[in-house]
This record gives sequence, C-alpha cells and structure tokens, in this order.
Amino acid sequence: MTTGFRDDVRTLLEEDSVRSTVADIAAYPPGTEVALLDVYRRLGERGWLAPGWPVEYGGLGLGAVENAIVTEELTRAGIPDDVHVLCVDLVGMFLLHAGTAEQKARHLPALARGERLATVLFSEPEAGSDLAALRTTARRDGTGWRLRGSKIYNLKSQYGDFALCAARTTDSPVAMHGITLFLLPLRAPGVHIEPVPGMANDRFNLVVIDDVRLDDADVVGEPDNGWQLLNDMLQLERTGIDFHAKARRLLDQTIDRAAGQGLLDDPEWAGRLAELDATLRAGHALAWEQVHALAGGRPDPVTSAMAKWYTSEQIRPILTAGTELAGLGAALSAWDGTTGDDGTWEAALRMGPSHRLASGTSEVMLFLIATNGLGLL
Amino acid sequence: MTTTFPVDLRERCAELFCADLAPMLRRLGARDKGAGAGAVLHPDDAATREGVWAALADLGAFGDQRQRDLVDLAELAGWALYQSPLTDSWFAAELLTATGDPAYAPILRDLAGGATALAVAMRERPGDEPTEPGPLHRHEDGTVDATRSVVAFAPDAGHLLLVGTDGGRTLLAVVPATGPGVTLRRHDDIARGDLYTVTVTHGEIVGAVHDITDQYPAALAGARIRHAAYLAGSARGAIEVAAQRLRERTAFGQPLARMQALAYRFAALAARTAAVLSSVRAGALAADEGADVRLTGAQVLLLAGVLAQEAAAECVHVHGAHGMTEAGDAQLFYRRAVVDAAWLGRTPSLRREAGRLLAHTRFPPR
Repeated sequence: MTTGFRDDVRTLLEEDSVRSTVADIAAYPPGTEVALLDVYRRLGERGWLAPGWPVEYGGLGLGAVENAIVTEELTRAGIPDDVHVLCVDLVGMFLLHAGTAEQKARHLPALARGERLATVLFSEPEAGSDLAALRTTARRDGTGWRLRGSKIYNLKSQYGDFALCAARTTDSPVAMHGITLFLLPLRAPGVHIEPVPGMANDRFNLVVIDDVRLDDADVVGEPDNGWQLLNDMLQLERTGIDFHAKARRLLDQTIDRAAGQGLLDDPEWAGRLAELDATLRAGHALAWEQVHALAGGRPDPVTSAMAKWYTSEQIRPILTAGTELAGLGAALSAWDGTTGDDGTWEAALRMGPSHRLASGTSEVMLFLIATNGLGLL
Repeated sequence: MTTTFPVDLRERCAELFCADLAPMLRRLGARDKGAGAGAVLHPDDAATREGVWAALADLGAFGDQRQRDLVDLAELAGWALYQSPLTDSWFAAELLTATGDPAYAPILRDLAGGATALAVAMRERPGDEPTEPGPLHRHEDGTVDATRSVVAFAPDAGHLLLVGTDGGRTLLAVVPATGPGVTLRRHDDIARGDLYTVTVTHGEIVGAVHDITDQYPAALAGARIRHAAYLAGSARGAIEVAAQRLRERTAFGQPLARMQALAYRFAALAARTAAVLSSVRAGALAADEGADVRLTGAQVLLLAGVLAQEAAAECVHVHGAHGMTEAGDAQLFYRRAVVDAAWLGRTPSLRREAGRLLAHTRFPPR
C-alpha cells in the first residue's frame, strides 16, 4: 500500500509542470517566495496533501506513514515544504487533535486541498524557545477575548489566512500555566504584518496584534491549557522525517558533485561522504521508527526529541563538505546567473542555521533527552 | 527443528541480561592485569560462564533466528558487556551454513543445543583486517597450516573456523580446537579477556576446505551488523552507568546531574546510540529480506565503534579518578571498547571500505 502511494505521489511530482515550477522557484527574484503552489492544489484534490486526515476533512483516512511519505517526496522533488509543514503538520494537526467539530469543518478541508494557508504565531521578541515568557495577552471581553502583543520570526504570515496564536490568558506564578491557543484571522483589522529582513529567501515577519477581538469559538483546546497542548502536539511533529529529507537531498547533491569531480575515487573523500551517508541512514531509520510509533499510537517524547536532534544536526557537516567541494562556487547565488546548480547551494547555506532552531532548538531537544530520558538536570 | 517460543528473543533474554546480574556478567571471564599467557580463570567463573551459555541456548539464542532477533540479543549482551563466544559463534554458524557441507551439521546441532561454541580465526597479525584474511596453506594429505592471532575464546570453542586466502580465493577450513597440530597461546590484552594466538600445523579438518570467496563478504556484513548492535548496547550501558554517577555524585554543592554541560553531552550520546540502533535494526531487517548489506554493515559498524569508545571514555571521565579504579564498571567499558570497536574492522578501514562501497552502489561500474 505505502509503496504504491509513494509511487503515485512521486509520479505526480515528476511531471513536467511540477519540474518547471521547481525551476521557477529557484529563479524567484529577491522578495518573492513560495506560497500556495499549484502543485499543492493538485496533491490536495487527490487527498494526498494530508493523507492521514479523515476523508471528511480532505484526507484519505490513512495515517502517519503516508503523511511522512508526502513530506519525503516533496523534499526529494525540491519543492519547499514550509507551507505543507505549517498548514498540515502544525496548524492542521493541532486542529485535528484539539479543535472543535466546527473548527475542523471550517478549516481542515481547505488546508487539505491546498487552498488556504495557515501559520503559527508562537515566538515573540522576548520569547523564543522559552515560550512560557510570552507577553501577548488575551483578556476576557464579554463572551470573547481581546488580543494584544507582537509575534516575530514567523513565516508566510503575509500570505496566510489565519494563524494559530499563543497568548497569555491568566497571570500565574507558574509561567507555563495560563497560556491559551487561538485561531487568529490574519486579515482582521488590528493585525499588522511587517517584514523582518533576514538572510534566508523566505522572509521573517513581525505581526503586531492590536486589540483584536476573538470569540470563544476561536479558542483551540481548553483556555489556559495551551502549554500542555503545545507540548503534546509538537511532539507529534518531531519525527525528524522532514529534517532528514532535507539533509538527504543536500548529501545527494554533494555526492553527485564529488562524483563529477572524480573524488569518489579518492579514499579520503569517499570515506568522508560514506560516513555522512551512514549518519543519514541512521537518522532515517530513527525517524521512521518515530513515524511507525505515531502510526501505532505510541509516540515517545524522548526518542522523538532524539530524532529531531540527530537529523537536524546532520545538515551542518553536509553543508561544510559540499561547500569545501564547490569552493567559491558555493558562494554564488541564483541571482548571479552563472552557477551550475541554480544557486540552490548558496540558498541552502543561508538556510543552514534554521534547521537546528526550528521545531525546538537542539538545546531544547537535549534538555528533553537529559531530563525525561536520563533523569538528569 | 525450530522451537517456537511464546515471546520474542529479546524479551526472553532480558531476564538474563538484567540490572541485578549486570555487575557479575560484566566481569565474567576477566583475568588479572598482566597475568599473561598463563592466566587462569577462577573455577566459579568458568562454571558461571557455562551456565550463562547453557541459559542462552535454552532461550533459543543459537537456533534458527532472524537477524532482527539476533541484533536485539546482541544489543542486550553489549549492554551487559558479556564477553563470550556469542557473536563469533553466530558468525561461524553463518559461514558453515553458507558452505552447505553436511559434515558441519553435527557442529551446528551442538551449537544450537548450547553444547559447543565456535571461534572464527581470520587475522594472521593483530593489526590485520577481517576483509583480508591471512594465508591458509593446504597440504596434499588434506591437512592445513595457518597462524592466527587475536582469536576470541579459542579454548571455549569446539571448533576453529580458519578463514584464509590461497591463490586469491577466500577459503574456509574447520579444525577441532583441541585437535592434533593445534596450539593456543593466550594474549595479554587491555580487555583482559580471552584472545589467543592459534598455530595450526598439519591440522586435521572437518569436511572439506571450501571456497567462500562469494559468501564471505555477506557473512561478514551480517556479523558486522550484529557486532554494531553489541557496541551500541555497550554505549547504552556506559551512558546508564554515567547517568547514575551524575545523579549520585555531588560537587560544588549540587549533584553533577544538574550541570548542563555534562547532561547535554550524555543526551547527545544517547541520541546517537538510538540512531545507531535504529540503523542496526533496519540493516538486520534488510538482511532478513535478502538485501545486499555490505555497505550497511561497514557503515553501522563505523558509527557504532566510534560511539562505543566515546561513550566509554566519557563514562570514565565523569567518574573522575574513581572511574579508573576497579571498584566500578566505567573502566570495564573503556577497556573493552578498545578491543570490541576494532573487532570486525578498524575505523579508518571501515571508512575507506564504506567509501568504496558507496561509490560502487551509487555509480555501479558499467
């Protein structure tokens, strides 16, 4: 079943129109980035964008295995997966597990069809990994809530329809208590989105929330229970599949480049690449064990943290090896117009630091392993 | 005949390789420092070793097992630092089976019943690699000559499997360990285990001398995957011993466990161990399905060997000077890792071999 599903997805992603889209993306001018691509809609109309979701919400009623296959195949095909991760793996998954029936019916089908874009608003100028320090507030206003605060380092908000937003609803001496998750319409009056210049192709946004009124119907899960929900849900996201897929694509490019330079005949280079390949295979095996654990209803927070840490840590040594192979060619961007790889390596270098930061930093993962796994700290 | 057990091998053997027995298991077969060729085992130790071996046989460790089950058991044995002919016996059984020679059937039957153990003798010199076995000389009368070093548990083995080369081919000859023309001399090594120089002069063989040129790489790959499981298990054991120390030892007014630098170092080692074990399991599954696992074997052993040595060294380190004393297990992990990490290939050799296999796999010669 899964082999057939993977073959089907791969066949679609190998069509000329999709390959053409990938080439176009590589040549996007500065300031242009991927939003709702047509290929997402084509996957969505087949139920393949969120195959693990129930049919009534636009999926195929399959499971975590098929979700992981889509992630792997998108990355393998060179299609940026940020929108897919945001809409399906994060916001969609939160709604699927903790949303009300009305929220699911209202949002999930459009996300699964690739017709609507959702983002997450967690990080703040003074609250990144330490989310409990967030300062955005949501105060009771009759039957609703009024939100005020600033969210930063979020992606795709300039294209988004709504966002999953964390805000403090109750002041508590225990910082983790009193956080609530809301569905915030990004086009609502009072929501201001500004770019934050950065080195990656995809821009960071600063979202200022200025007295935006939401209803109880916009609360995801129970009020004040957001911390627990975040911990439970983010664990489900951390299989390592996405990070491994990106690392694999980069290593394959590196191996091809080495072969092109005749360096696979050099025992030192071949051995170095084989060791990197070994770590990727190990990461792949560990990530897939997490996927199967999820599919079997047995997710484990410690091993999923291990998988995220291990797979995301592989990218830096691969970038180092590939850059050493390419020399200054690695420094030339797509906009230079003379590189042999469409400048994708240079773009990958600019994205490099993000992998050890996204979905929980490497240090947060080590903290989880040390505390919950080894009984330390 | 294959015995059917109600629970899987790992679950059955977990009762043997448990925390209560670990201190004893980790010291089985240990000799005094510098005891040299004449080192003797305490009679109780020999009896305990026999008992553990018999228990493993009863639990089904030597029957017809899938690779995915054997790696589970190897990982447990590594966690317990159980030094024994276990992994070599599996390797030997795979080589014997690959020949299809019915003369080996009684040996395999005895092994399955726990009545014997087997030793694989490949290296002429300690620094040689298992991919390049030493010379094997055949006499016209059917006997063989060979010199092999660092052969594990040769006195415990009923038979020695001499893997060697002659005329560019890889050969296998089986000789009784106590047969005429076979002499053993114990090495004195850092692990203080049972490594021997074996000299075979006109050794009488069981069955025929077999050309295993085609079968040997696959058998070695399988052995490497199992050995990687053992090494990853030993890394897990070292991390657990270290974590226990960190929780118990107080310094600068707080338990060492509160120190982030130490905690994160072991968290990273634990994650690497989990990844290597996942890769081992994936490799074993592929081997069970008949896939070519030569690259996998070299790669997982490469990762596992580095990991086991690093985990052991860090384990000693967090114990301070106490870690170097024989009062604790840390030094056991450290000393054993030196031998175990190089057992089926040294790190630089494995890296080169994996590089060659990767290039061959990705770009097959036309």
